[in-house]
Amino acid sequence: MSDGETSVLGELEHRLPRPDALHAMDLADLKAAFAGESQAAERYLVFAEQAAAEGLPHVATLFRAISFAETRHARNHFRVMAGIGATADNLQTAFEGESFEIDEMYPAYVEVARLQGDRQAFKSLHWALKAEVDHKRMYAEARETVLAGGDIAEQQVSVCQVCGHTVVGDVPDKCPVCAAPGSAYRTFS
Amino acid sequence: MADAFKNTPPKAEKLGAMTEENLKAAFAGESQASQKYLAFAAKADAEGYPNISRLFRAVAYAESMHARNHLSVLGGIGDTAANLKAAWGGETFEIDEMYPAYDAVAKLQGNAEAGTSIRYALTAEKDHQAIYDSTGKGLGAGNDLTDAPVRVCPICGHTVIGDAPDECPVCGTAGQFFTAF
Repeated sequence: MSDGETSVLGELEHRLPRPDALHAMDLADLKAAFAGESQAAERYLVFAEQAAAEGLPHVATLFRAISFAETRHARNHFRVMAGIGATADNLQTAFEGESFEIDEMYPAYVEVARLQGDRQAFKSLHWALKAEVDHKRMYAEARETVLAGGDIAEQQVSVCQVCGHTVVGDVPDKCPVCAAPGSAYRTFS
Repeated sequence: MADAFKNTPPKAEKLGAMTEENLKAAFAGESQASQKYLAFAAKADAEGYPNISRLFRAVAYAESMHARNHLSVLGGIGDTAANLKAAWGGETFEIDEMYPAYDAVAKLQGNAEAGTSIRYALTAEKDHQAIYDSTGKGLGAGNDLTDAPVRVCPICGHTVIGDAPDECPVCGTAGQFFTAF
């Protein structure tokens, strides 16, 4: 998690690499590096959970810290590619990404998993598709609010740690997607 | 697939080749979405939208859960000894192959900001490679790491175990800004 991000960025932002008029090969390289760093960050978070489950709390801490370092690299590459705009634009980018996953990517992947009889893959892909539908709606509503000149309402957002189901406001007793209990949600407040 | 919705994260299974390819692409997509949303959250905070920032952070976390599930089905999660080895292998590839090539292209094309972003990463990956190596060896001898904090430069990702330096040796950021784990 990038919890340290917001506390220091104001003062240090001038130190970060800036958007650059990139040549095509540099842009291709940075895209690949951004993909690599993003995936490394996620892998290390999962490896941290595994280390904690094995009774290795300090190795877990190490994986979390290095995951954070990889998120710094991902952010730097993303900045140089001019990936970060104003919030209204970022909400539109996020909305379009979710739309692609909902309309194109996950339906195709879910269908192939069904065809090939890969049940665990089907579950993983189906759960993601379900959550992206919620995300798309939340981003659309948030963008409307920003364009009208304001922030969205102050409400907690909670995420099911099993399937990624995302809900604004009260946590349900049971996840409507994977049936995990409400205690499985992580709340951002 | 009536039994596909039990309350457990998906597990590794023997996959059809196309499904495996799709899951790899989905893992890449979720990982990148998560990082984009974290960057967007920071931007929303800077623009005075704390509630939109929270939405981005929460959805980034949801994408993280999807990434973990896909990785699990792909069999990408081993025991910690295997995970340290896999992590070391990834860092080694970035150090020996990926970043030197990208760095050379950035120099050739005169993209100074790209060069900075690439060199920051390359330098930190060397820290990570060394730490994973020594941690894996310690684990092989039956030892967890010490409880010394791990500190990360929030600008360039430079990573140290123990005290923060006065100044980051890579990018010059004051040590007080390092994030401690």
